[in-house]
Amino acid sequence: MRPFTYVRPDSAQAAIEAFAAAGPGARYIAGGTSLYDLMKLDIERPEHLIDVTAIRGLDGIETDGDRLRFEALAPMSAVAINRVVLRDYPVLAESLAKAASQQLRNMATVGGNLLQRTRCLYFRNGAGGVSAGMTYPCNKREPGSGCAAIGGLDRGQAVLGQSRSCTAVSPGDWPVALVALDAYVEILGRQGTRSLPVADLYRLPGGTPHLEFALTPGEIITAIVVPKAAAGRQSTYHKIRDRESYAFALASAAVALDMAGDTVRQARIALGGVATRPWRAVAAEAQLAGKQLTRETAIIAGRAALTGAKAGDHNGFKIELAARTVADALMIAAQRKPA
Amino acid sequence: MTSAPFPNRPRVDALDKVLGATKYAADYALPNLLYAMQVPATIAKGRVTALSIDAAMRVAGVVKVLTAGDFPPPPAAQQGAPPPPATITRDIAYRGQPVALVVAETLEAAIQGAEAIRPTYAADATFTATIDGKGAVRQPVQPTVGGNATTAMVQAVTRHSAEYVSPAQHHNPMEMLSTTAVWEGGVLTVYEGTQGSNAVKGALMRNLRLTSEQVVVKSPQVGGGFGQKGGAQRHTALVARAAMLLGRPVKLVVPRGQIFHNASFRPKNRHRIEIGADAAGKMIAVRYDADQQQSREGQFPPNYHETPPMMYGIPDYHGTAANIRIDTQAPGYMRAPTPHPSSFAFDSAVDELAVKLGVDPVAFRLRHRATRDPIDDKPFSSCFLHECLSEGARRFGWKGRPLAPGAMVRPDGTQVGWGVGCGAYPANVHPNIATLRVGADGTTRFAAAGHEMGQGIRSTIEQILVRDLAIDPARLEIAIGDTSVAPQHVTAGSWGTASVVPAAEQAAAKLKAAIAELLAGRSPGGNLHRQLAAVRRPFVQVEVTTVGPGQGDKDVARLRQGGMAVSGPEYPAFTSFSYIAHFVEVHVEPHTRRIRVPRVVSIADCGRVVSPRTAESQVRGGVVWGISACLREATEVDPRFGGWLNNDLADYVVAVNADIGEIDVGFIDRPDMQFNSLGAKGLGEVAMTGCAAAIANAVFHATGTRLREMPFRIEDLL
Repeated sequence: MRPFTYVRPDSAQAAIEAFAAAGPGARYIAGGTSLYDLMKLDIERPEHLIDVTAIRGLDGIETDGDRLRFEALAPMSAVAINRVVLRDYPVLAESLAKAASQQLRNMATVGGNLLQRTRCLYFRNGAGGVSAGMTYPCNKREPGSGCAAIGGLDRGQAVLGQSRSCTAVSPGDWPVALVALDAYVEILGRQGTRSLPVADLYRLPGGTPHLEFALTPGEIITAIVVPKAAAGRQSTYHKIRDRESYAFALASAAVALDMAGDTVRQARIALGGVATRPWRAVAAEAQLAGKQLTRETAIIAGRAALTGAKAGDHNGFKIELAARTVADALMIAAQRKPA
Repeated sequence: MTSAPFPNRPRVDALDKVLGATKYAADYALPNLLYAMQVPATIAKGRVTALSIDAAMRVAGVVKVLTAGDFPPPPAAQQGAPPPPATITRDIAYRGQPVALVVAETLEAAIQGAEAIRPTYAADATFTATIDGKGAVRQPVQPTVGGNATTAMVQAVTRHSAEYVSPAQHHNPMEMLSTTAVWEGGVLTVYEGTQGSNAVKGALMRNLRLTSEQVVVKSPQVGGGFGQKGGAQRHTALVARAAMLLGRPVKLVVPRGQIFHNASFRPKNRHRIEIGADAAGKMIAVRYDADQQQSREGQFPPNYHETPPMMYGIPDYHGTAANIRIDTQAPGYMRAPTPHPSSFAFDSAVDELAVKLGVDPVAFRLRHRATRDPIDDKPFSSCFLHECLSEGARRFGWKGRPLAPGAMVRPDGTQVGWGVGCGAYPANVHPNIATLRVGADGTTRFAAAGHEMGQGIRSTIEQILVRDLAIDPARLEIAIGDTSVAPQHVTAGSWGTASVVPAAEQAAAKLKAAIAELLAGRSPGGNLHRQLAAVRRPFVQVEVTTVGPGQGDKDVARLRQGGMAVSGPEYPAFTSFSYIAHFVEVHVEPHTRRIRVPRVVSIADCGRVVSPRTAESQVRGGVVWGISACLREATEVDPRFGGWLNNDLADYVVAVNADIGEIDVGFIDRPDMQFNSLGAKGLGEVAMTGCAAAIANAVFHATGTRLREMPFRIEDLL
């Protein structure tokens, strides 16, 4: 915990100007469900907080036309119970409803959720804050310091996308569902607006795990856009975790199916809980295209989704678990009524 | 002599709790209050060689930093009493140990100040953080022996042997550890949620060289204790010392991660069990070796043989136990301390033997009736385990359960299993000194030893007083958990009820006699308050002292001096235990293999149930914890660093509401009149025992896979 300044501008433009004026050490804050937590752990040490929650007209949910558009400040809990989302895109609603707790979802925003940082135990507990009281090497927190998770208690670590510098899992559920649906984000910065596929928002750790998001300092995510797709109706977010609620995924699968009878025209599959970023399983999708969906083809696709997975000391089970999670998700989605 | 069943009355503090009006120790708002924060050591073993407080003192609002030099040296050893917790020392025995206490005008400044302190350490790289580490030292304790198990085992025709493991776990009560200390007029008053206000007082007296008259400890309500709040905490004297040095009240609420590192915990423990059965399929011999994780100086005893010999009347029993000393903080008592893990191990082993013999596990247990304690060779005062098993089987619908595992499969492939598990817990008792005062103004005040940890001790006391006295329950004050109202015991080990209800009953009788004498034959009518008013007496007060079987003046004197005077479960003429049987249904998912527990039936024999409402709640809580302990909870140590890695409630996974299904609770409710005048044994601890075994046995029945190490996780059945 360190002192910081705090401002609450009422427009996005003003927020961006405030960020630029504050210089290094500035951070945006929305629901605060992640940032305050990280500040208490002494991981985030902002000198200036720019609260974006007073920005007007940035919490809308639009479902007309050929896309869904969620403005960044819409609460997770509001999007999760939107009628169109619930009916036509269960994968989105479930990814939100299965995250955190109702209290947190009431505070957390759909934009802020995209930028949640990893739950890697060594990342979280090793910054020297008084509660956990420890300093672990972590390339994400202190570039070049090493990775304590490698060779450590790595049951929760990634089996896909990890590097020799970092094995931290990308923790989100919502981003996994968005990646499966080819969603993109609208971004506002000093240079104006741009858009970026959600999949491209997340960087692989490589040798620079401290660089997590493809945003430049001061940029704000203003909206999330999901192109409408018939596959949304036959979709699900299947999340397997250590308890029935209020836990991060050991393995999860976002699945949406475009079916002709019991034949798969196109499948969209993304994985959570097992990879260093939301993981689109292209090989599994290709595996299923044009095939009948049965328990057997589903598990073959599940295994294909884990192509290239590498286990550490204690997380090998996640490879099999994730494959089965994908297979179960495919079967669940297929049982839903098509559009 | 007998004792009638009690009515189902609401708990006395239910409304306040629902309204959020209940005041816990950290809720007392004191004027001029300062806030404290501890600085935890970041090495697992070694020494602080330099500690600069300059950076902390530069933080605006920081008023003082206490370090090792601010405390008196450790007190001289006292015969028969464990030393109080250390204060701040330069030697570091475990990671997270406090190296300084920062005191500030605000909590934020205290935290910032604490984080600004970065001591220099001489780290000792030879530390050992796990029981299989190089520097672990094994120390056996006295074996537990009844008959001759070695000879008897030779006679056995069917044997089962296996090893069972229970992980390190932390209590995690909702109410954090906290201390608020006030030093005024030469008297130290401490507000702290504790199960042992007298233990806290004693530790403060010794650590800070204060007299009994100089220390008052108040524990008005405890937001969950579970044994973690049974003893004196290390931080308490630190906060008290700060208040004394600064002459202002000081409060510390210990952050969750620091609680993981400094408070007690359930140590990891292992059980190698061999059970032999004769040609008739009866268990005749047990050989059982247990060991547990222990700190270098820790005193928590490995009493894993407390209950297994008391369950099934097996005459020949040989149990060994050992501590494995490593570099950690001291482990301690956590709900159903040793009987939870030993009942998991033993009742799993009993189940495995029944499977080997091809016998239904309930029928197998019913072949064995315990009537005597085989270790001390005394009769049980009461034991209704058979009745628990029979009633549980009836309510659960056990009849018709297929013997073979894997036989109950739903159309979607979900495997269903039914398991039974039993447990026991010693019936202990502590002396009590109680005062009861009834006033003409409508008030009643009962003061005694006891702490309210949510278990419902106030509701239990109320049951007796409203049964026996015509008083106004709305104006009844039950003053407990306060060293200034009565000598306090550590309220733990399920002795709270049995140690206080006889005192309430005797006090009520004595008070009624005193009022009768006062009325001298007159009958003014109305309740006791009106009767007193009619004869113009402001109040009548009586005091009683009660002791358990075999206890006497010496035990009462120990209570008065603030010492532990608990007896049991062996008494001069008998041995006393409470018992329980759990019946569990599990569902195992076909592919991702999640284990769910949709329903549990639990039937307890705790003697007479004094407060049915809170008793049922206790058992439900015990079952929830059994599920959580078996399927969820483990505190993890990275041997390279020591300390506890998953030290918050996000990563130390406890069961949530969504993990819990239907729990049907029943009681045999037959009084044990040898044990005390109400026939009440104890309940809180026994509720959890045997539950984990029932789950393990159900998982085997569902899947054919025997899991012997808790917690059972997804990967174990994948």
